[in-house]
Amino acid sequence: MSSISDQPRRSRPLRKRNVLTRSSRFGPNMTPMVDVTLVILIFFMASATIGGLEWFLRADLPKEQDPDLIDSGYALPTPMLGADLYMDGDAVLVTGIGDKPRALASVIAQISAMDESDAQGLILGIRARDDVPYWAIVALHDAASARSMRVAIR
Amino acid sequence: MRHRSIISGEGTGARINVTPMIDIVMVLIVFYLLVGQLALDRKASIDLPQSRTGIEESAEIDPILIGVGANGSISINGEPIANERFAGEIAGMHIRSPNTPMRVRGDREAPYGVIRPIMRQLRDAGVSHVELMTEQRP
Repeated sequence: MSSISDQPRRSRPLRKRNVLTRSSRFGPNMTPMVDVTLVILIFFMASATIGGLEWFLRADLPKEQDPDLIDSGYALPTPMLGADLYMDGDAVLVTGIGDKPRALASVIAQISAMDESDAQGLILGIRARDDVPYWAIVALHDAASARSMRVAIR
Repeated sequence: MRHRSIISGEGTGARINVTPMIDIVMVLIVFYLLVGQLALDRKASIDLPQSRTGIEESAEIDPILIGVGANGSISINGEPIANERFAGEIAGMHIRSPNTPMRVRGDREAPYGVIRPIMRQLRDAGVSHVELMTEQRP
């Protein structure tokens, strides 16, 4: 039985090792990093989808004014629309905009149809009774904001 | 007959492939993070109203988040607080940092009767405006 050392050496020229082969063999293993990156990416995509995108509407909180000043007409620096919301059964009605109580959707449609140049600078003061759901106030606020009106919660 | 090594390697070149273990660990971490987040949302149980307009959040100053649940429960920055303590707490926070925005996260189904005291107490504390958090309507 002959050992390896006994075998004659091959007489072949020395081969230069490929640089690419060397680097792939001894370089860092990228697989875990790619895995982690993909998982983090999926996590953020999933959390963004689940959470939903949020933003905010700005509302003023005016102090209650002296009734005499309000009656005098000099209390408010800019024209103010007043909307009072109340419930009639399951329907949300609005008084203060127009002559008689109207459905919230109708008031929102009226505000949305306003010319923005007319609406700009107006302040919509929203007052609501205790049983009015919060979404109704936000819906009115949303319509007014879309016309560049300022909104005050009273 | 030679027994093969459990590690499957023979000699000096043998090593454990940790890649699947890292994969599994990361997936588990993500799973628990998601479940934890969902649990927190459920705990807060606030369904924001939707709006077509709004102002995108900016990270300039961390706002004070006031959560109002449909049942009238109040929280400040995610911490539940008793209704009778709210006024004092919010007044103190406003005095300490008057420029910090106040963001109200009200439940869409909450009756205004539970929102109004919050607004009144904010007004009494000297807050001149609030930011009403909404969900972007697609």
